[in-house]
Formats: sequence, C-alpha cells, structure tokens
Amino acid sequence: MKILVLNSGSSSVKFQVIETDLERIDKATDLTLAVGQVEKIGMSDSRLKISIPGRKPYQAYSEILEHRAAINWVMNTLTDAEVGILSNVHEIEAVGHRMVHGGEAFASSVQITPEVVHEIEQCSVLAPLHNPPNLSGYYAAHHTLPDVPHVAVFDTAFHQTMPPHSFLYGIPFQLYKKHSLRKYGFHGTSHRYVSFRASQILGQELCDLRLITIHLGNGASVAAIDHGKSIDTSMGFTPLEGLLMGTRTGDMDPAIVPWLMAMEELTLHQVNTMMNKHSGLYGVSGISSDMREIEEARAAGNQRADVAFRMFSYRVRKYIGAYAAAMGGADAVVFTGGIGENSTEVRRLALENMGWMGLEFSEERNLTHQGGEGFISTEESKVKALVVPTNEERTIARDVIRVLEGVMPTFEPPETVW
Amino acid sequence: MSWELHDVAIMGGGMMGRSIAATVAQEGLNVCVKEVSMEEAETSKAELVRALDHEIARFGITTADKKVILSRIRWVTQYDCAAECDLAIEAIQEDFDLKSQILTELDRRMPRENPIVINTSTLSITELAAKTVHPERILGMHFIYPVSTTRVVEVVRGQVTSDEALEKALNFARLLGKVPIKVFEMPGFVTTRVVLPMVNEAMHIVMEGVAEAAEVDLALKLGYDFRTGPLEWSDRVGLDRVLNWMQHIFHENGEPRFRPCPLLKRLVRAGLVGAKVGQGFFAYDVNRRRLDRLEDDKPGLA
Repeated sequence: MKILVLNSGSSSVKFQVIETDLERIDKATDLTLAVGQVEKIGMSDSRLKISIPGRKPYQAYSEILEHRAAINWVMNTLTDAEVGILSNVHEIEAVGHRMVHGGEAFASSVQITPEVVHEIEQCSVLAPLHNPPNLSGYYAAHHTLPDVPHVAVFDTAFHQTMPPHSFLYGIPFQLYKKHSLRKYGFHGTSHRYVSFRASQILGQELCDLRLITIHLGNGASVAAIDHGKSIDTSMGFTPLEGLLMGTRTGDMDPAIVPWLMAMEELTLHQVNTMMNKHSGLYGVSGISSDMREIEEARAAGNQRADVAFRMFSYRVRKYIGAYAAAMGGADAVVFTGGIGENSTEVRRLALENMGWMGLEFSEERNLTHQGGEGFISTEESKVKALVVPTNEERTIARDVIRVLEGVMPTFEPPETVW
Repeated sequence: MSWELHDVAIMGGGMMGRSIAATVAQEGLNVCVKEVSMEEAETSKAELVRALDHEIARFGITTADKKVILSRIRWVTQYDCAAECDLAIEAIQEDFDLKSQILTELDRRMPRENPIVINTSTLSITELAAKTVHPERILGMHFIYPVSTTRVVEVVRGQVTSDEALEKALNFARLLGKVPIKVFEMPGFVTTRVVLPMVNEAMHIVMEGVAEAAEVDLALKLGYDFRTGPLEWSDRVGLDRVLNWMQHIFHENGEPRFRPCPLLKRLVRAGLVGAKVGQGFFAYDVNRRRLDRLEDDKPGLA
C-alpha cells in the first residue's frame, strides 16, 4: 500500500511516499519510493525538491503561498508523467501526518476525524509554533485527498507511558492540573523506531528488554525504555530540557531565568530566544551549532569548542547512568540521529569506562563503524551498544498501516488516583 | 478578497522607518525603503545593521534572522518602488507639508485599492488625505518606538477612510504581531494624548523643585509599574520631538494641559535633547545607556 507521509512546518512541507504493509513491517522491507520537500512556502521563490531512488534529483521553483498550493504541487509532481512515480493520485491509499504535540489526549497514533482535529487544536497551546502548521498540512492534504484515511502520529504519544513520579515537576500540583504542565518528551517516533529495530537486531522481544535510546541530532534526547514502555525521557514540557543541543541550553537551574531577566533587563521574548537559539554548542563554543564544525575547531586546539564538546558528551553519559539506575540496569544502549550515527568521539566519551554497568565499549568497532546499523560494544559485553539510523517517516507510514489494520499499540498512561 | 500583502513601501529610513522595515521584513514581507539620497540610504542601512546587532547582543534575534531581515529590505531613492507595493507607510518627521507632498506622490503611483498609511501621532489624517485624489484609502497608524518590541499600534480613521482600507490596515498590524487599537481621528489619539500631559506634569515638578528628576522617574517606575519613568522616556524619544508633539496638540486644541513646560523648551533650546546627544534630563553614554542611576534604580531581584 502506498502511503504519503507529511511533515508540515510553517514554511515547509517534507514528504515521502512509502510502500508498506504488515508483512513488510515484519520483514523490514518497507520501500521508500520518493523523498522530497517544498521550502519557502509563502514566498515568490518557493522550491520543490524530490529525489526518487535510481533517478537524478529534480527541483522546481514557483510561487507557493500556502499549504494547500504546496500539497497540490507535490501531488502534481508525483503524478507527472516525466518526473513522477504515480499514474494518478488514487494510488495514494492513505496519508500519515507528523504532529508534534498530542498532549495528554493522545497515547497512540489515530485516524483523523473532526473530533481528533478539535483535540489537536486544544493541544496547540502547548506547541504554538508546531501544531498549527502541522494542522494546516492536514487541512491541505485532506482537501486534495478527501477520500483516503489520514492518520496523525504524535511526537509525544510514545512517552505517555511515563509514570507520574517521572513526568511531574516539583511545582504546586494545581499548576499541573490547570495548565497540563508536566514532562511530555519528544522524538517519540524516533525512540520507538530505534528501540523496535534494536530488539530485532538483538533477536529479542521488545517487552523483554531494558533499552536506553539516544537521539542526537540538532535537537537531542535520551529515553529509558523499560520492557517496551518509555518510563522517562530527557526532554520535558518543551524540547528545551535535558541534553545540551545545537543552540538549546538543556538542563539548567531555573532560577537563572528570573535572575538574568532582572540583571540584564531582558524581556520574556529575549530570554526565550537566548535559551533556544543562542545557547548550547553554539552559545558555549561561540563557533557553531554544528557538531562537525565543533569537532574540527576542537581538533585545531580551540578550547571553547573542546569544552562545549565535553559538556555535550558528558551529559549524554550522565543520562545513560541515570536511566540505567532508573530501570535497575540496561540490556542495550542505542545511538541514533545525525550526531549519534556519525560522531565516533561523542560515542566514545559517552560509553568508555562503563564496565560498572556491564557495558564493554569496543574502541575498534566504534572507529570502524561506517554508517548503517551495527554494534559498538565488544562481543562479550553483557550490555550491548548499537548504532541504529533513525527513520521517522517509515515509522509514520507503518503507523498508518497499524491504525488502519487495527493493530496500533496504545501507550496508555498508568492509572492515576487524582 | 484578491488583495494580498507581500510588498511594503516605507517612505523615510529614519529611526521609525527602519524599525518598521525590520519588523515587516522579519514577518516575511519584502520592503523597499525610500530615502532622499543614496547617502542617506547608506546611513539608514548602517544604522539598521547597528540596531540588529544590538538586538542579537540582547538575544532577541539570531545572526540568521539578521541576514534574512536584511535580504528582504532594499533602499531606493525614487517613489517608483511604491507602484509595485501592496501598502505604503510614510515615516518621516512630523511635518505637514512634507507628509502631504509624499502622499501626493504615492497616491499618483499606487493602485487605488492599496492603502497608504500615515505614521503620525499628532497630525490630522483627514486634512492630509483631503489633498489627495483617493482620500478613502488613506489612514493613520501610530507605531510606538521601539517598534519591534512594542505590541500596540493605533490604527486611525480619518473622516473619509473606507472600511476596506481600515480592514487592510488591521490585517497588516496583526500580521506584524501587533495589537491594533482602533481610534477615530483626534489630536494625540489615545496613547500620545494620555502620555503628554503626564510627562509635561513630571517636567513641571522638576522645574518647581518639588523633586529631583531621578526621583520623579523612580517614583512612577516603582509606584505604577512603568518600564521607564516619564523623563527618561522623553529623553529616549527625543525632547525635541516631545516638544514638537505638544506644540502641535496645544495648537490644535488650545488645552492648557498640553502647553509645553518651560523647562522642556529650555532644554531643547540648549540642544540637550536627550539620549541621542548624551544629555537631556539625564546623562547617557554613546550606547545610549543611562549614567548615574540612583542606587535603588539598579536592576536586581525584588
């Protein structure tokens, strides 16, 4: 079954066409037929890029002012006799939409109905920059493909299994109740995908494993996946918490915020931008938010690049220790995301001398790992360490199948007494 | 409605014009700023770069934002750029004849459904509009400096301003992330009319020797939760401009509460017009940071 997967931002729409079904999911033989995106929506020089395996990438420019025009453009390109891959739009049998925030309302992927749309709108207050464009993408796609099912896949849903002692903050309880102010966690589709792949590689059932999955991209988060359920994750109410990131602070003393606002006379907007866009690897090093450039500068002897690099790796290490303790041990540690898949040095600093928890890091495997999936722990290591490239679009396509076939697992929150 | 907003023309690249240009560009629209000469245009651009760098240092925007903003603004010296714009704003000094002349030029070049906005705090929209061929598309918008961080904008209807023009201006304001306040024309509108008698009174207090300038400001800052006291606010706006506004309104309505305080006149005559020259009611350094604050006026946690 051919599925269109959409990730709609405010000025871009990323898309993939994926061929999958229950059998392909089981054998991991899903086929990616096309990958592309529309950029600079709302401008006169919007660009559409598409690459199809085995063909030369294709680009086009046009004035695309809103999402509906963008989706039309995508569909016209996909069905184009020369550059496309579909004979007509009806070949697309379902659409999967990435949604950032499902709040406490969504603990699994769901088929989109008017009620679901209403609920997602309610969650927009929690993700004002992301949910509205995600929904615009849905409205546009629904207009072009009104007769096929549309499925919403949430970044937060997978982490809904966290118990209250993990997701609550130590603030007055009524504030949690009033504003739904709690840890949600993000990157859920990525953590889910790599944990599932890791279990397949290890040849064990996910429900028999304690996994620590580490997604290190421009945003970065760690999750503790205890017998298939996320019980803790480093991102919180927003994606700002946890690890040091490209331009985000990650964990810090919250008292810094009012203190800085007073001493530097910063506005709310300025302090928010400071923490989200001026901090992290970029803010500490003063060089770049890109880990590759940080590693180059560090190799050239730049001390601030070095300390930024060490902070980054140290925090990853600290969370591995914390989550191993939280689960009473771990069976495997899984790295993914651009940095997790490519930085041998970050992996080394995070994993060396972890013998205390039964993890024997293999210097050699780590250095010789060349993309793709593979182990970076020794053959004998009790706790395995792996690299598994993430594939969020594939997870979304698979969820469309699972929802339509009625086999979508829900990540039910634990029973609470309040 | 077929009218869509993509290109905005701004007449004048002074403090207000630049500030509006940056805000408009940040929201993804293209801007052309008209200056009187290439030289003035260069100065305007350099000042904008300086302001953006300052905002980066204050963490408000990133270097990437700055690049995007600058890429969307072009500086020109001819009125022709307005012909392709969906909306024009004039942002020159508070001078009736100059503004009137610009309106005529814009009115002649722009399609008649495109609104022309006068940025004024005291002049009559109706009177300015009356000198054009299409007065119904002319209205006022009173932006408050600094435009990027002040959320309110007064949208002013003149006697013959059409509902369509008003609606377009309201949309424009919301697109910029501002809260529009609808007002009918009357000198000073809302914000200026309320603030001027207050700053005038503060100046009288200082002149009469009732309290020191620094203490007057601190009292209002702490007492009524003002971000800046009325005297420092006047210094930052420019005492010459404050005096100009007061004289306009006083001339219009003759109300004694708008009669400029003699101390204000004296400072302006002495050239001590505020932060931009380093001295007004208070002293400022080259970065317009206020010097000699009272100990109790220093930032800190309450």
